[in-house]
Amino acid sequence: MLSTLFSQIVNGLVLGSLIGLIALGYTMVYGIIQLINFAHGEIFMVGAYGGLAMFTYLLPTFVQQQWYLALPLLLIAGAAVAVGVAVAMERFAYRPLRNAPRLAPLITALGVSVALQEAVRVFYPGATAAIPFPDIFVPGTWMIPIGDGVPIKYSGLLLVVVSLTLAIGLQLFIDRSRMGRAMRATSQDRDVARLMGIDPDRVIVLTFVLGGALAGVGGVLYGGYLNNINIDMGFQNGIFAFTAAVLGGIGSVRGAVVGGLTIGLIKSLGGQYLPGGSAYDYVWIFVVLIAVLVFRPQGFFGETERVRA
Amino acid sequence: MSTLEKPPPAPAMPPPAPSSRLAALAPHTTVLRIAGGLLTLVGALLPWATFVLNEGPYPEKSTLEFFSAPFAVTGFRLHLAVFGIAAIVIALVAVPGRERILRAIGWGVVAVAVVNGLYIAVEGGGLGAITAADGVAFGAVAALVGGVLLVLGATAGGLTPVPVWTWQFNRYLEWLILVVTYGLLLLLVSAVLTSGGRGSAANVYSGAVFLSFLGAAGGLLGALHASGLLAWIGAVSERHRLFSVIVLLVTALLLPLTGAGNEYWMTVAANIGVYAATAIGLNIVVGLAGLLDLGYVAFLGIGAFVAANFSGAAASRIGIELPFPVVMVLAAVIAGIFGAIVGSPTLRVRGDYLAIVTLAFGEIFVRSAQNNIGGLTGGSNAIPGIPPVSLFGTEFNDAVQVGGLELAPGVLYYVLIVLIVAAVMLVFANLKNSRLGRAWIAIREDEDAARAMGIRTGPIKILAFLIGAMLAGFAGAFFAHKTATVSYESFRFLESVTLLAAVILGGMGTIPGAVLGASILFVLPEKLREFSDYRLLLFGLALILIMRFRPQGLVPDRHRRAELAPETDAETGPIPAGDGDTAKASAS
Repeated sequence: MLSTLFSQIVNGLVLGSLIGLIALGYTMVYGIIQLINFAHGEIFMVGAYGGLAMFTYLLPTFVQQQWYLALPLLLIAGAAVAVGVAVAMERFAYRPLRNAPRLAPLITALGVSVALQEAVRVFYPGATAAIPFPDIFVPGTWMIPIGDGVPIKYSGLLLVVVSLTLAIGLQLFIDRSRMGRAMRATSQDRDVARLMGIDPDRVIVLTFVLGGALAGVGGVLYGGYLNNINIDMGFQNGIFAFTAAVLGGIGSVRGAVVGGLTIGLIKSLGGQYLPGGSAYDYVWIFVVLIAVLVFRPQGFFGETERVRA
Repeated sequence: MSTLEKPPPAPAMPPPAPSSRLAALAPHTTVLRIAGGLLTLVGALLPWATFVLNEGPYPEKSTLEFFSAPFAVTGFRLHLAVFGIAAIVIALVAVPGRERILRAIGWGVVAVAVVNGLYIAVEGGGLGAITAADGVAFGAVAALVGGVLLVLGATAGGLTPVPVWTWQFNRYLEWLILVVTYGLLLLLVSAVLTSGGRGSAANVYSGAVFLSFLGAAGGLLGALHASGLLAWIGAVSERHRLFSVIVLLVTALLLPLTGAGNEYWMTVAANIGVYAATAIGLNIVVGLAGLLDLGYVAFLGIGAFVAANFSGAAASRIGIELPFPVVMVLAAVIAGIFGAIVGSPTLRVRGDYLAIVTLAFGEIFVRSAQNNIGGLTGGSNAIPGIPPVSLFGTEFNDAVQVGGLELAPGVLYYVLIVLIVAAVMLVFANLKNSRLGRAWIAIREDEDAARAMGIRTGPIKILAFLIGAMLAGFAGAFFAHKTATVSYESFRFLESVTLLAAVILGGMGTIPGAVLGASILFVLPEKLREFSDYRLLLFGLALILIMRFRPQGLVPDRHRRAELAPETDAETGPIPAGDGDTAKASAS
């Protein structure tokens, strides 16, 4: 009884840290250019497939079997593919619409999302169904010494640790570095930032790069945790991540992490204990999203300003 | 504005200077144009393939087969021949607006040449299929070069504005002109639908023939637009609005009598009709009130499930069977209620966040339907076996005899959906010109200013959702009976995106836009079956390209055009006084 609760909490925290990773990308991009990048979930998915492609096609067998060699390479590959797609997306789909009315980039983002999903489905061999993803970390489960022991896969533990580390790193980067200051300035007022000598285009590209890298890493780690990936994972986790970003306060790094963990917990605990069971877990997340947007649109850590039209 | 004289011909105005790259060609425009036209004509007569392609529309090494399939109405050789002759004539005779006409013709020729040439090259295994020395199969190349020369020759001298014609004739003559025009439009639609036949294993060229026909039709329409005739016909139908609407309705009802009158096309047309009606409803929410709704297809689904449950189908949870008109009203009402429910929490939310909230509602609907909430939706088993609509003793699935003419099965459904779409259009048009419609437009443009003007934005936004949802529910009832099975699969997020894309592609805020968008998005997958695997990929790419290059859509609303794509005066020429948007004429 209690062990079910704890194991669901653990599941929720693992999923939540992944969602937090993706949410960081959403929140940064929205903070800088006020665009909900619908296609960000697909960047996460592409990162996972990129890592898998590296593993399947480029790594010699002896490397495939040593996780401490394969893992870093996979992470780099996943991040690289994700960053490439993100930068291309920004350059060709979003930048020309920088000054268009809000509807245009939104529809474009929808189009990019559909196009990316389909491109992977059509061109990656075997992607029409779920593809197995190899173990890229120490296999096995650690039993947390609470009660009878709460299981957590080592790959899940890796996911949590890496997410938190990256989130903290990102927060430090934004707070302490020059480029981080430039990002904050650009998100506050792009034109004045330009007057101060900051090139907003470079800052925006950097934002997409960071968000893409985080999502790509998340994709590879998630694949290693679940041991399979499919083309729908981007859309579903993307919605969760966006909900998390909104819940935590759009534009806030801490908000994305806290929001992510919260959403993860809601999904696993709600699926376990709320009526309808796991078939309705998505529904509870959407209910949360609607409630947040209606009653507290600024989320946990956002400023109390009206959501701009 | 009742002058009966023609305005001074356009060439009296000096054309704007051409870009520097083309300036070098400027003195030779006439030569280029005539050369282009001649080459096009030659291309039409030369053979195009160096081998026989299963005796399709590309006969091998043949030259002067004037009267067989390649020269049928949908035959590309006929199109090229006509274009070539027209180009030569227009190059020599000073027709007003001829630069743009020639440019349109040129692009049409290029499109036809590229589509057919590419197809033959791909099927034949390489460029050798269209450029072999033995048997002179240079038709494709000749036509392509001809088209390019036409475009260059047309634009090198600079483009004059599209001419504006202010002819007015007596009423009955104009009525006759309208009848003839819409009759031709009917034939064009029928030809578009039937060109290439149905894609199947036995008819592998259908996609290519269809695309080629589209290219030629595009060139023709472009030329007509460039000559100012389309705008003039638009003005004439504005003058006789009631008559035009009646004639349009009658011509739509006559479609079953043309070549597209078989069961297959009637079914396709009925589906287009359902989505067109839904798109018009979405147009109220997105186009008029500016409320971006990404979960709209849920209302169509609600209407469909309501109809399914009350239709007497064996799988329905509620065993009551009601007559169809009652069911339609009931479906509309219930969908409307849900529309109000969705609308209420969104009052404080704007812009992107509104889109996400509506997306969330749409997903809640899909998930609930998938899990057979309340036993009403059948879950994965759906609700099959919905009986066809049955009015006055006739089941709508049967073939029908009208005065000796045998109509295909499904024609009755088609007639019904045409009437439904007409009713929905009527509702939309009346709303748009009412106080409520103006309030919606005000909210769309600037909600705070609208509030300051005394518009009660809350109830009015809910009304937008409610009425939009009602129209979708209305269409959903028809949908349930037509497709005989209602499943949650038909109402997923992708369908919402497709509906939104139809509204945007056609042009937001306009009725013909919504119908056109829905038609394009449903006819294309049918005709281009061989690309069905890439369908969604192309769809995504198309969305990106549309928002990049033509965000105002194909038939833009005046407001949207000004908002999304301010044109220069050179494109449309001076707008005659007395037209509503003189403000726009003096802008840019």
